[in-house]
Amino acid sequence: MTAADAAAPARTDLAIPPRPRTWPKAVVVGAALVAFTVATTIPAIGGVEIDLASIARNWTNGLDRIGQMLTPDLSILPRTWQPLLETLEMALVGAAISAVLAVPLSLWAARPTNPNGVTRRAVRFVLNVVRAVPDLVYATVLVAMVGVGTLPGIITLILFDVGIVVKLVSEAIDSADAQYMEAGRAAGGNQTQINRVTALPQSWPAIASQVLYSLELNVRISAILGLVGAGGIGRLIDEMRGFYRYDALGTIVLEILIVVIAIEIASNLLRKRLR
Amino acid sequence: MSDTAAARRPEAGDHVSPASGPWPITLDNVTVRYPNGVVALKDVSLSIGAGEMVAVVGLSGSGKSTMIRTINGLVQPTQGTVTVGPHAMTSLKGAALRRARGDIGMIFQSFNLADRTSVYRNAMVGRFSHTPTWRTLLGISTAEDRDIVMRALASVGMLEKVWGRAGALSGGQKQRVAIARALAQEPAVMLADEPVASLDPPTAHSVMADLADINADRGLTVLVNLHLMDLARQYTTRMIGLRAGEVVYDGPAASATDADFEQIYGRPVQQRDRLGEK
Ligand SMILES: Nc1ncnc2c1ncn2[C@@H]1O[C@H](COP(=O)(O)OP(=O)(O)O)[C@@H](O)[C@H]1O
Ligand SMILES: [Mg+2]
Repeated sequence: MTAADAAAPARTDLAIPPRPRTWPKAVVVGAALVAFTVATTIPAIGGVEIDLASIARNWTNGLDRIGQMLTPDLSILPRTWQPLLETLEMALVGAAISAVLAVPLSLWAARPTNPNGVTRRAVRFVLNVVRAVPDLVYATVLVAMVGVGTLPGIITLILFDVGIVVKLVSEAIDSADAQYMEAGRAAGGNQTQINRVTALPQSWPAIASQVLYSLELNVRISAILGLVGAGGIGRLIDEMRGFYRYDALGTIVLEILIVVIAIEIASNLLRKRLR
Repeated sequence: MSDTAAARRPEAGDHVSPASGPWPITLDNVTVRYPNGVVALKDVSLSIGAGEMVAVVGLSGSGKSTMIRTINGLVQPTQGTVTVGPHAMTSLKGAALRRARGDIGMIFQSFNLADRTSVYRNAMVGRFSHTPTWRTLLGISTAEDRDIVMRALASVGMLEKVWGRAGALSGGQKQRVAIARALAQEPAVMLADEPVASLDPPTAHSVMADLADINADRGLTVLVNLHLMDLARQYTTRMIGLRAGEVVYDGPAASATDADFEQIYGRPVQQRDRLGEK
């Protein structure tokens, strides 16, 4: 190995430039990451406390609950249909409304489709703020504002979906080749015309793909939103947890799992057809 | 024809309809310096007569694209003025500039079609400057616009593909659709930036022939950027040679000698400077 390395320069008369040394940088970055991670777990400097002993003390407790969940109580099933359907409706309505909102917002947030830096940054800034707020915070505030039910849940999902769909689609538009825009400009079109006739159909696959992705996420999220009174199957999860019915919880978790997988399969099929 | 063209545009005002005939192009002491400091055109003055068929020849980087883009205002010169027919391109902005661009057709080396949408919608891009934005937004085009687009597609032999996806076409077909898009503008001037550089030789010849027809039959002023000397000789009547942003040759195309080309290129003529026989 070392012999071969040493012999290599002798075998060639090419002026190969010296390969830049990258390992010192990698070592420094790696060491910094390790140091930072360790520092975050030192309570003395305000780090999080990781009490490994408590896991040792309580593990039998957790094991009992997991054991119960692994023996699902199927008698709960009839009571789950209605809230499960509600969850699916919320997911679908949320994804559909956010799709309609995301189309113009994505075009305004991308550089090729909105050369005006001021409005583009304004849209991006507002969406960054929207994304920064956790979904359960939206749900809690909205339940207080509009009352318990599916409405606060749907609004929460719309805010969440618009945030991610616009970010991902506008980034896709930013990185896509947009030479067709120049033709529209040369023909005397304004940006709105160019976007409507050419940029929109070019971006359609990205939009559809991200909307399907948001639909998948919505089922997961709306299962949780019920915990704060925003409708869906989360309400039932909360109730069962309150009664320590871990066997019933197991059934519900299983159901959600099946629905999520079914939606994922369906959206993967749709995505393939879109290409 | 000219009455209907004028009647279609209530905003016309002092606007002269391109249907009134081809337009001359004038560049007066035009200098283009890009923000990165590159001077792509140096004090270029040119006068191209109405209805001329002109080739702009030069090596890659000599400023051909920059020159064509200053003519339709996609690039604004740092000095000098550009006039196309009645439009003082260098003093126009906003809606007036877009209206002027609408009278100037342009085709590109890479066709610049929206591949995921239909040939029809791509050709409709040529009607932008004649269409109110709300109509474009709602996707409602007038019967007249549809008629213009269909005739433009028919004139380049692409009518049967009108509902097909632009991305599914061959390179030559794409360039024909791009020509139809420009013709749908009903322009007075046609600019072409290396229109055949991405095409195989037979297709390149037929696209050049289409451009020559546009000049001969429709009487449009045609300015075409080329880097191949034989295409310039065969299809155009006047040749302008650019080298490092300066005009180094201006004369008839057919009689331009190899020595003239060597002067333009700044090096001996090579095999790759010719496309080859038809
Ligand atoms: N947008 C731009 N910004 C900076 N420099 C540019 C730009 N476009 C072209 N150039 C430079 O200007 C010179 C002329 O380019 P161009 O007009 O494209 O020549 P050609 O079309 O003959 O190849 C080149 O040096 C090129 O690198
Ligand atoms: Mg060029």
